[in-house]
Amino acid sequence: MSSGIIKEIEKKVLELEGLIESITKTTIFTEIPKKNIKDFAKWLYESGAFLKTCAGVDERIISSKLALYYIFGLDEKGLDVVVKISGFEREALPSIVDVIPGVEWCELEARDLVGLYILGHEDKPRLVLPQDWPEDAYPLRKDVPHNYRPQINVEKFSEELPREVGLPIGPYHPILHEPEYFELYVEGERVVDVYYRGFHVHRGIEKLGESQRFTYKTIPFLAERICGICGFVHSSCYVLAVEKAAGINVPERAEFIRSILLEIERIHSHLLWLGVVAHILGYDAGFMHMWRIREPVMVLAELLTGSRKTYGINIIGGVRRDIDEVKKLKALKVLRSVREEFKRFIDVFISIPEIVKRTTGTGILPRDIARALSVVGPTARGSGLKRDVRKDYPYFAYKYASFKIPVYTEGDNLARLLVRVDEVFESISIIEQLLDMLPKGPIAVESYEIPRLKKAVAAVEAPRGEDVHFIITGLDRPYRWKVRAPTYQNIPALRVMLKDAPLADAFLTIVSIDPCFSCTDRVLMVCDVKSNSKRFMSLFEGRKYAVK
Amino acid sequence: MQLSRVIKPVKLLLIALKTGRVSREKYPLGPPLITDSFRGAISIDPVKCRGCGACVLICPPNALTLRFEGEKAILEYFKGRCIFCGMCADVCPVQAITVTREFELAAVEVEDLKEEIVHVMSKCIMCGRPFETITQLKYVKELKLITEKYMNMCPECRSKRVAKLFAMKPGEIFEIK
Repeated sequence: MSSGIIKEIEKKVLELEGLIESITKTTIFTEIPKKNIKDFAKWLYESGAFLKTCAGVDERIISSKLALYYIFGLDEKGLDVVVKISGFEREALPSIVDVIPGVEWCELEARDLVGLYILGHEDKPRLVLPQDWPEDAYPLRKDVPHNYRPQINVEKFSEELPREVGLPIGPYHPILHEPEYFELYVEGERVVDVYYRGFHVHRGIEKLGESQRFTYKTIPFLAERICGICGFVHSSCYVLAVEKAAGINVPERAEFIRSILLEIERIHSHLLWLGVVAHILGYDAGFMHMWRIREPVMVLAELLTGSRKTYGINIIGGVRRDIDEVKKLKALKVLRSVREEFKRFIDVFISIPEIVKRTTGTGILPRDIARALSVVGPTARGSGLKRDVRKDYPYFAYKYASFKIPVYTEGDNLARLLVRVDEVFESISIIEQLLDMLPKGPIAVESYEIPRLKKAVAAVEAPRGEDVHFIITGLDRPYRWKVRAPTYQNIPALRVMLKDAPLADAFLTIVSIDPCFSCTDRVLMVCDVKSNSKRFMSLFEGRKYAVK
Repeated sequence: MQLSRVIKPVKLLLIALKTGRVSREKYPLGPPLITDSFRGAISIDPVKCRGCGACVLICPPNALTLRFEGEKAILEYFKGRCIFCGMCADVCPVQAITVTREFELAAVEVEDLKEEIVHVMSKCIMCGRPFETITQLKYVKELKLITEKYMNMCPECRSKRVAKLFAMKPGEIFEIK
């Protein structure tokens, strides 16, 4: 990290009448008067910063104000810039959505959950909260208890949603989480517009983590349950944020073990994704074989941690399970066979005509839109943006491993597929390198102290992209814990990918951003604009409409 | 070129033939497909357990709860809530909890998923209120040299006693009812 950019930011902040709160090794915390936030955001954006997220915080206990933290990342410099604006309860805050379009969702979320009054979003429908939620109850405010359940006015609910909504067969799948709801407006076979409604199962995990029910020690297990596929990413990101805030030095061996497990998670997630893509495209043999290859990786994860998924070995200050010599040899053996099998099979996989034809040139996301929406992960890398947290903000043991970041410039579904294929090989190579270099020593610190009101931003590269956790520490538990899952940043890009594309490709395109797999088996509502008829179909039914 | 495009997909047959059958035969028979480090349900040794509640405090999903019913303190383990993290085994001061490799836990009744360990509570010699498990008191006795009278009082009575001792006149004798 160069000190030149820090000086530049300092200069700009002082020029805009702001102040620098603190500068740590990887993050600059600043506060800017709200009238100048647009200028500062524009300046940051033009100097190459990506928007990570923004977090509304109820700071009325501390400073009698509500605050909004914008988190930017200067990828090239490996530096996070946290910009705070604040105002009293009914004070209007400016929106920076016209400078950075990707900010819309998190500003709407701050409006819904913390009750910030952000100009420019007054007429927009609710993003996170349901339509029937009371007007003046903001769940993330400190005076609302975590188990608050409002009286629901059903009549009002039906009034506000005049559309015919297919809930009974709809997005509430009993075993899956994070359902989404897409409404595609079509003209003949062509998609002309997309309506999206998500957050059906907003579980209030952030609020729960801030409540009396959890402590610093038990939150990693809660964080692990944010995602069913990349749970370890979330618990790693949470402990990384707390360790950064408290200044805990984690033993090197623990960092290596975390990195190894993160890569194992990436391999199994990508193999799962490739399998499901094959399934959606009607190539079920590919689906079966991909998942067969994936199985030893799951067993390996179980051997190293004790559980196939939700490893549950992350604690603040280290890990709970060690990798001994026997496990190491076994892991190397499994990885060698997985690489061979995957190599042999992927050669066949990407020569299947229906896979190549259906993915080439569909769901195109141009580079400039990807930049404006700050998309992350394989979605960004498939559109020519070289973004990878592992390289840009080296965390854990990634600085010791050498690996390439696959980048494709086409921006179509095939590019995103090939990025993931390449990443599987890179991940296997990373694990082999790290296992080889595994240092000796303890795997966890013995004791630590977490001071109050320290802030930290942590980012971890999940299989789907960059996962960001922002923490303000409190007594025994975080004062504010903001989680931004990678899919959150990628879904707004779907609108661009789906528009003006054939309906048959929509199913594949939605899957191509890898929206946490449990969310892919959704109900789509197909509305024909001309005849105005509606009917429902499931995601996999879309295969029937594949171009033969 | 055209020929290789046709032939390549057929290569899958070779892969499939080489792999053979991968699904499991005759499921309940044979050893389970889990590794040695697998974490399953926990088992609590009722002899070792003291009812201190360390596991209850650390349990992330509240699968372990401690409730008091009259003279009994009941430590309940509900497998339905357990996330099999094994944190309780890590924090148990007497290693009464072990993580087993048991994972086939389906039951017909919810009650079958619950395990209870009953501790008898010691009554306060002053007010007669049960305040601490007998096994825990035994451990305290081993650990620290304190009189039985003092140990068998509940915390409230102890502080009341101190207050009374201060208020006593010279020569007065403190009596336990």
